[in-house]
Amino acid sequence: MAPMDRQQEFVLRTVEERDIRFIRLWFTDVLGVLKSVAVAPAELESAFTEGIGFDGSAIEGLTRVYEADMVARPDPTTFQVLPWRGERHGTGRMFCDILTPDGEPSLADSRNVLKRQLARSAEEGFTFYTHPEVEFYLFNQPKSAGEPLVPVDDGGYFDHLARGSTHDFRRAAITMLESMGISVEFSHHEAGPGQNEIDLRYADALTTADNLMTFRTVVKEVALEQGVYASFMPKPLATHPGSGMHTHMSLFEDDRNAFHEPGAQFELSKTARQFISGLMVHAGEITAITNQHVNSYKRLWGGQEAPSYISWGHNNRSALVRVPMYKPGKGNSSRVEYRALDSAANPYLAFAVLLAAGMKGIEEGYDLIEHTEDAVWDLTSAERRSLGIKPLPRNLSEAIEAMEQSELVAATLGEHVFQYVLSNKRQEWDAYSAQVTPFELERFLQVL
Amino acid sequence: MTSRRPQTLTTHLIRAGFADLTRSATLWNDPDLVAVCDGQADEPLPVGPDGRAVVLSDRAGALLARLGDTADPDLALLQLTRLAGASPDLLRKVLADDGPGEPADVGVQATPVPTRRLLRVLGASSALGDELVRRPQLLDVLTDPAPGTGVPPQDVRAELLRAVDADPDADVPVAGQEAASADPSSPSSVLDGSSGSAAGEGLVPQPSPSAHPSSPSYSDRLRRAYRARLLRIAATDVTAPVATAAMPAVGAALADLAGAALEAALAVARFETPGHEAVRLAVIGMGKTGGRELNYVSDVDVIYVAEPAAAPDGEPGDEDHALRVGTRLATALARVCSGTSDEPRLWEVDAALRPEGKQGPLVRTLASHVAYYERWASTWEFQALLKARPVAGDRALGDAYVAALSPMVWQAASREHFVEDARAMRKRVEDNVPPAEAPRQIKLGRGGLRDVEFTVQLLQLVHGRTDESIRSATTLDALAALAAGGYVGRAETGQMTECYAFLRALEHRVQMFGLRRTHLLPTDDADLRRLARGLGMPGGDELTKRWKAVRREVRDLHEALFYRPLLPATAGLSEDEISLAPEAAMARFAAIGYRNPAGAMRHVEALTEGVSRRAAIQRQLLPVLLGWFADGADPDAGLLGFRKVSDMLGSTHWYLRLLRDSEVAAERLAQVLSSSSYLADALARSPESVKWLGRPEALEPLGAERLAAEMDAVLSRAEEPAPAAQTLRALRRRELARTGVAEILGELGPVSAARAISDAADVVLGGALRVARAEARDAAGIPAGAEPAILLVVAMGRLGGQEMGYGSDADVMFVHTPAAGAEEREASEFALAVARELRQLLSAVGPEPPLPVDADLRPEGRNGPLVRSFASYQEYYERWSSPWEAQALLRARPLGKWAPAGGASGPEAWLADRFKGLVDPLRYPAGGLGDDVVREVRRIKARVEAERLPRGVDPARHLKLGRGGVSDVEWTVQLLQLQHAHEVPGLRTTGTIPALYAARDAGLMSEQDAAELREAWFLASRLRSAIVLWSGKTTGAQVDRLPHGGQDLAGVAAVLGDVGTGPELEELYLRTARRARAVMERLFYGEE
Repeated sequence: MAPMDRQQEFVLRTVEERDIRFIRLWFTDVLGVLKSVAVAPAELESAFTEGIGFDGSAIEGLTRVYEADMVARPDPTTFQVLPWRGERHGTGRMFCDILTPDGEPSLADSRNVLKRQLARSAEEGFTFYTHPEVEFYLFNQPKSAGEPLVPVDDGGYFDHLARGSTHDFRRAAITMLESMGISVEFSHHEAGPGQNEIDLRYADALTTADNLMTFRTVVKEVALEQGVYASFMPKPLATHPGSGMHTHMSLFEDDRNAFHEPGAQFELSKTARQFISGLMVHAGEITAITNQHVNSYKRLWGGQEAPSYISWGHNNRSALVRVPMYKPGKGNSSRVEYRALDSAANPYLAFAVLLAAGMKGIEEGYDLIEHTEDAVWDLTSAERRSLGIKPLPRNLSEAIEAMEQSELVAATLGEHVFQYVLSNKRQEWDAYSAQVTPFELERFLQVL
Repeated sequence: MTSRRPQTLTTHLIRAGFADLTRSATLWNDPDLVAVCDGQADEPLPVGPDGRAVVLSDRAGALLARLGDTADPDLALLQLTRLAGASPDLLRKVLADDGPGEPADVGVQATPVPTRRLLRVLGASSALGDELVRRPQLLDVLTDPAPGTGVPPQDVRAELLRAVDADPDADVPVAGQEAASADPSSPSSVLDGSSGSAAGEGLVPQPSPSAHPSSPSYSDRLRRAYRARLLRIAATDVTAPVATAAMPAVGAALADLAGAALEAALAVARFETPGHEAVRLAVIGMGKTGGRELNYVSDVDVIYVAEPAAAPDGEPGDEDHALRVGTRLATALARVCSGTSDEPRLWEVDAALRPEGKQGPLVRTLASHVAYYERWASTWEFQALLKARPVAGDRALGDAYVAALSPMVWQAASREHFVEDARAMRKRVEDNVPPAEAPRQIKLGRGGLRDVEFTVQLLQLVHGRTDESIRSATTLDALAALAAGGYVGRAETGQMTECYAFLRALEHRVQMFGLRRTHLLPTDDADLRRLARGLGMPGGDELTKRWKAVRREVRDLHEALFYRPLLPATAGLSEDEISLAPEAAMARFAAIGYRNPAGAMRHVEALTEGVSRRAAIQRQLLPVLLGWFADGADPDAGLLGFRKVSDMLGSTHWYLRLLRDSEVAAERLAQVLSSSSYLADALARSPESVKWLGRPEALEPLGAERLAAEMDAVLSRAEEPAPAAQTLRALRRRELARTGVAEILGELGPVSAARAISDAADVVLGGALRVARAEARDAAGIPAGAEPAILLVVAMGRLGGQEMGYGSDADVMFVHTPAAGAEEREASEFALAVARELRQLLSAVGPEPPLPVDADLRPEGRNGPLVRSFASYQEYYERWSSPWEAQALLRARPLGKWAPAGGASGPEAWLADRFKGLVDPLRYPAGGLGDDVVREVRRIKARVEAERLPRGVDPARHLKLGRGGVSDVEWTVQLLQLQHAHEVPGLRTTGTIPALYAARDAGLMSEQDAAELREAWFLASRLRSAIVLWSGKTTGAQVDRLPHGGQDLAGVAAVLGDVGTGPELEELYLRTARRARAVMERLFYGEE
């Protein structure tokens, strides 16, 4: 904790200078839902030194770890003023680490799960960078849950809509993100009506995960301001593409991109190949984390938009792991893209398991299977079998079963989070399976 | 005395103490040297060829004797010869300063004279000799009688400032001011080697030598002046009568010199930095520089403080700008001292002790320093701050820094994690030695310099809070103040001071030789000989011996200094021993981890008061024990346990002898008492068990046979049944304690421990059965030998499997059959009376711990009759037998005559055989189990999981019934036994682990699966034992539960010893159990 005091002084000074009245302390529960505790500026100093105590038993995944008492200690490097709370008497926010009353990192803190995994790969000399492309939908606010969803527009991929509300929306959202220090790489209209994509600039994985949590909040806030509704649900519309979160990943050794090797096939180093094979070998086990909801599988298996099969390829949009086209002279931009991840994942846990899977490939020196140039969707199942291409789990239940067997995921999440996620996901699956859906009523009620 | 016999030159050299005779003989006759000496002597040096007798002139004899008086005569002669070649005239001047006519055999003189200073330096330091050869004008330093130590710091500061043409009297000295160099008496004009400095000739001084080759840069001039002063200090050091006595003054002089060099370097930095006026910069000396106890060569630790200087109009300046300028100054300062240049570098200026270490900004404002230490600094940083002293730069700012921060140093001991931090810091001191260097380290490791410094600083931190008199930054001054303040014993202080001075003097001489930063004792014989002679010892062997003795002594002195004063004044201490005032003692107890210092003091007082032999021995022993308790998981419990044992045993002579004579026993006692409430209690109740600690072989389990023999003897002597039963119960308690001690000391594995506990239960049951039978006979008026029934006790459950834990009940079934000619009813009544009596004897309230006898596993459970005849069992099993009964019978083990069944003969053995004949077909059914039975067993298990687990317990943490706990493993193994024991004889065993191995060997489960199950069963079993040992509670809900964090989890982890910290243990158990559960679900429930 020592190297923080300048940041901490900065925070205290900023709060004073900008007359900030509340500071929200943010943390993320095991399911990836943002939680917030507000403190007054007067309490901030003691929050830095001692943390803020709270009752963890009401928070998903924090129950029964230790006694319910928990301590949230803000990380001053993450301080930002929340722009939508107005310039005067503003509100600031910081992400927190969750500690036990003894001051040990809590086993149930997903931010700590990622920190631990990052520390492990740092021991091997690697820094992990990620660059997510977040997709989401904008709807004209549905009045109630039963009503049909009405997207805000009818645009398509990269469409520029004159006076399009999504255009305004993106501009407002990006301005707000930038004002919070989150750099946006790229933004455009996506394939579905009302669907948008905003790409965050690459950063180390912890920062990216923090940024994603902020991002989701900002997007929802801006949408509300504009009278619309934003959703990161993986597949809200059956007939339109789902919202994924393709994530580009790279490992750096000091300042050098460890994935890059000039002259090698696709300019990919051995490290990169082993990392990819790690992702492929463990893809099934980590799917319950990268695609955590029953709805996620509607996107994964919803047709030719998301990777349903475990394969990799160079610029192959049907592959689970894609190696983007290499731009000559940009050795440091070598990266691999994992395309299964969706926008509803807990980014801390998702990045942790992706990194763990890739690192496992490097540690064990896995061999890489051949890359695929065909669109995997178009192959027959016999062809896929002969090529050794396996499917991802078809639903949450299969994903849970695969994860249950996984030592890799258990070691990465720690036993507590591992068990918690399993039992929570089993409950979700059970509740889902108990539904009688409109599909069933429509198809069977009268016929049978 | 010189012999009258004529001597060869070689003999003269040997007598003088030379080692390399051939080379030295050649050197002795070196023309340059002869020329120098000739020039001033009436007679030439004898140059007689080797092998021929020569008579030395008085002059030559004196010179030879002087050379012999150095640490290394060969080296001294070699360097002298080189000097004679390099600068004969200057050398002649030095030698001429010596008064003639001194007796040749005088070695030591009252006042240092130039020749002696020169030769001593040459013999001790090859590097300084080389420096003299390179710059012979330094010889002037040796003819100057002024000493190198005891010089006022401001004089040294002025000398070095003048060397860089800075005005020592200026508030902010800047190099390159003409006024300073105009002073002809300035030493710089002599020492920089050029007559008249560049500035004196009216040229603008150039910091870069390349720009102005003829004139050295200020950096070089500083370095030369530094070395001249260093030479002066060394000359005083090597001519001191007692090196260790001179050590503190030498260390202070070196620190003052470093401070002066920093001041002068800062002056040069200012000269090179335009706009330096914007900042007030203070250089705070840390470490040995701050403590005024510096080495010859060592990094100089500093911290920089900067504040904006007031602008001419009085307005405060811009802080950011000031910090930028301050950083430039600090960087330039470091370059002046250690950058590449024509002259050798001084030392590294190390600012790593600053807030945030190397990541932090080099220069901070005072407020920023204060904020850091208020919020972020860790304990070691406060310890480091103890040494802070302004050494250069802005004096007022430096003083303000110390005034602001030093109060925080003295609050450090009340910080939250001080105890753990201090322990970790001490461990770092002890562990941080590369193994290859360990035997040669002077500074690090146990018994090294750091060890002394750490002990002193820890005492300062603990007591300095309330007592300002002990806050000195200098180790030896602090030690003396601690003694004066009554915090440490005077005798120990004296010893410690001596040891420290010796180690430091040794380190000084090691470094002085090559002017290199090293803390290793050399290995080369010649090097050792030089060091020894330099410190007034005859040779290398003596030096090594003394060094080792000192290290040993330092190790013991830590205990003596730290713990001995904790003994109360009432302990009848001798005159030079001291006792801490109560408040100081409380502080010290708290600082080493005692949670209840007041209680600890009461115990210590009770243990040491009085004139008894016990008190006397405990006074000797307690200081060490207090440290050992502090290393354990619960120091307070350790001390309390010790007091209990001592109250019980204090007067027995063997106990005192054991503690006095066996350090191993005492340490083990401390370990057991401070990590296990169960054993602390057991040892207090069974004091003779303390004896085991002195004899490792006494911790081996006695085995059933020896226990049976002992039981036999006990019962033969007994007359009344109740006391006899108490004796039996006491025997078991003793064996539980023996097993626990062996387990906690790592002498016994979990299987052997469970076996030992089960053996004790076997024997006690057998003995109680004998007593109960006699009672029943007496009650019914039946003579011995005419009992109407043969009675068999069948061990079940964990007793049957010989896998009992410390808190296990004895599961049994009673079987009888009428004796020849006896009535069925009569036999049955007798058997029932015996069984009731047996249970009563072992479970009745009494002073000794009961062994509850549980017969619930009998047919029909609690609803069935307590005792059944063999025929009744036969009938029952033929008609009713259910799967769970068959499963329970897998653990059925008839207790024979206190020996394993089958080993004994007689009616019981006969009945046991028949009983086995009856149950074997049930538990090892021919053809295995039908699918319906397998289903039924699985269903029962599923129900047990759902119903038996206490409410509110996390299934993953329940060691017995939880997921992957012992019961999962046992059911898996037992199902395989029921299915396959008819074809795999190895499965016909009552033990879980033997059955598991048999199943694996028969291919019924994979190696991997067997390993997972075994790991889980071992770990859960060990945890259940460890929880009992730690908590002292054998029953209750917590016995079967993995503790939730905190002290309990850490304590249990400490008892296990090989599982890391508490959180690591938690993760380990959850992982192991999860894997076992997966195997179990596959093998037992048949899930794929």
